[in-house]
Amino acid sequence: MEGSSTIARKTWELENNILTVNTPDSASDNIFYYDDTSQSKFQQEKPWETDPHYFKRVKISALALLKMVVHARSGGTIEIMGLMQGKTDGDAIIVMDAFALPVEGTETRVNAQADAYEYMVEYSQTNKLAGRLENVVGWYHSHPGYGCWLSGIDVSTQRLNQQHQEPFLAVVIDPTRTVSAGKVEIGAFRTYSEGYKPPDEPVSEYQTIPLNKIEDFGVHCKQYYSLDITYFKSSLDSHFLDLLWNKYWVNIFSSSPLLGNGDYVAGQISDLAEKLEQAENHLAHSRFGGIVPLHRKKEDESQVLTKITRDSSKITVEQVHGLMSQVIKDVLFNSVRQSNKSPTDSLDSEPLITS
Amino acid sequence: MTNAGKNSREKTMAPSSSSGLTFKLHPLVMLNISDHFTRVKTQLNPPASSCSTGNVPSNADAVFLQNPRVYGCVIGLQKGRTVEIFNSFELIFDPIADNLDRSFVEKKQELYKKVFPDFYILGWYSTGCDATKSDMHIHKALMDINESPIYVLLNPAINHAQKDLPVTIYESEFHVIDGIPQPIFVHTSYTIETVEAERISVDHVAHLKPSDGGSAATQLTAHLTGIHSAIKMLNSRIRVLYQYLAAMHKGDISCENSLLRQVSSLLRSLPAAVSKKFHDDFLMEYNDKLLMSYLAMLTNCASNMNEMVDKFNVAYERNSRRGGRTAFM
Repeated sequence: MEGSSTIARKTWELENNILTVNTPDSASDNIFYYDDTSQSKFQQEKPWETDPHYFKRVKISALALLKMVVHARSGGTIEIMGLMQGKTDGDAIIVMDAFALPVEGTETRVNAQADAYEYMVEYSQTNKLAGRLENVVGWYHSHPGYGCWLSGIDVSTQRLNQQHQEPFLAVVIDPTRTVSAGKVEIGAFRTYSEGYKPPDEPVSEYQTIPLNKIEDFGVHCKQYYSLDITYFKSSLDSHFLDLLWNKYWVNIFSSSPLLGNGDYVAGQISDLAEKLEQAENHLAHSRFGGIVPLHRKKEDESQVLTKITRDSSKITVEQVHGLMSQVIKDVLFNSVRQSNKSPTDSLDSEPLITS
Repeated sequence: MTNAGKNSREKTMAPSSSSGLTFKLHPLVMLNISDHFTRVKTQLNPPASSCSTGNVPSNADAVFLQNPRVYGCVIGLQKGRTVEIFNSFELIFDPIADNLDRSFVEKKQELYKKVFPDFYILGWYSTGCDATKSDMHIHKALMDINESPIYVLLNPAINHAQKDLPVTIYESEFHVIDGIPQPIFVHTSYTIETVEAERISVDHVAHLKPSDGGSAATQLTAHLTGIHSAIKMLNSRIRVLYQYLAAMHKGDISCENSLLRQVSSLLRSLPAAVSKKFHDDFLMEYNDKLLMSYLAMLTNCASNMNEMVDKFNVAYERNSRRGGRTAFM
């Protein structure tokens, strides 16, 4: 049984060009070693001052990711924030651990961290005593339901941090979308200094932004760049995670993402409806405008419509996946009958969705 | 293990607990402990590339360096008879003096209280293979923080043949041994509890799913593969039960009535939900999703039509800037 599932997984990974990180052995656990001398040497050299695009990659440990996601989800619809500890390694920032800060509502003021300085200092000190030698290398906060990007306040906060506490990284997590989509929504960013014009970079992965935040997103999206995120885990961690799967598989049947995220989906749909209405008004106005060259107007409209279509497909795909799970569970558990009773109709339905 | 060691082991453990508490463990705790252990181990054995001042450690030291014991506290909630372990943090323990750093514990507790006001210290953890006599000292020391602490033991040895999680939870109970009531460790069972977000991130790191959206086909494959593996597990478990029952029927194994009762109740609980209300709700949800995909299709069609009309206009444009028909390519 174990064999065929590994074969299935490997086939899937091959088809999708997934770069499988080699199963960590004890040699690769070396990433956990904190070398004080090389870290302080790096601090003194400060290579990031000459190149604003210096750090390109982020490596997050399994533990840090789990802690951040659980903390973000526990906040519900309130933004939470915390700090990350780790070290640097060439052009990569390595995040080994994360901890929460007792601060709330971080989207309302710059440097909400100031409230928690005392906590931060005490926590770092106690940690060093207990053997966790890494320094703070960044902060994370959550955007429940509205995507992974830096708002205006976030950009100012991060700029401040990058002036005084280099090397520093900003990470944003969206716990609502994580649960809804079934994959972790996370982004890592660093800001440029004011006035720096970045060279045109390739457009990062598209994500839906709700209407009330889209202005904030658009104004600031050129002032920071995102870094690639990879994950790592120790050999003991992967051993545990494999074993955990033996207990976890039940959850696939016992939980339903559709039920948990009903509010969020309803919000998404109404947001989409507003966007459509806006696009329609735009279209109506342009018909009588006339002075603006026709081609450019058409481009804007078609772009807006394409975005809306992409958003709607994304929402629908998630819902259809949830529905598929429900149907499968129904077939598995409800269409069983005792052999002495005559078989009654089970729910026979094949979703005909192909999008 | 010497004879004395074995005897002390026997005196400190009993097979099962009778307190009636149910324990739920969160995977975060396990990852925490494993991370703590890995860190301490790598700090003690620096990688070969960095220069280490050192004589070759003697054999006993080498064994210790390979598997250092780490200690920490576990925190969580207790509601009625359910104990849920959410998180953990490290402790400083002096093995020579054999005492716990109390001020450290208090400081850490304060810090965690600020962020997680509901949690309190439930017990402590350590790594190793079995509970030892010295562990009882630490256990007793913690008894003044929590009157009945629990002891979580994690076995860091990686054994690929093992299918079960190498984590055991012990409680302490007073048993009369040699006429004196002494506390000893008793084994308790536990379940793994998780929230959806935790499961997704564990899944993410365990199987290294693609971090970006990928095409719709990739997402579909990922989703269905997950369900497929879960069904495979279910199937294999059912097979095991089936073979067990067949063997019992043939007479190879003695009949165990409690197990038979459990299996029978399991089978009788299928089909899981067949009321009219369930049927109606299910169909309603189904129709909602179909409606959504219909709307999405309509939007898609409208957008494609729009694009087509634009392209048509560009191709067959009458009002060009030069005023008059232009030849189109």
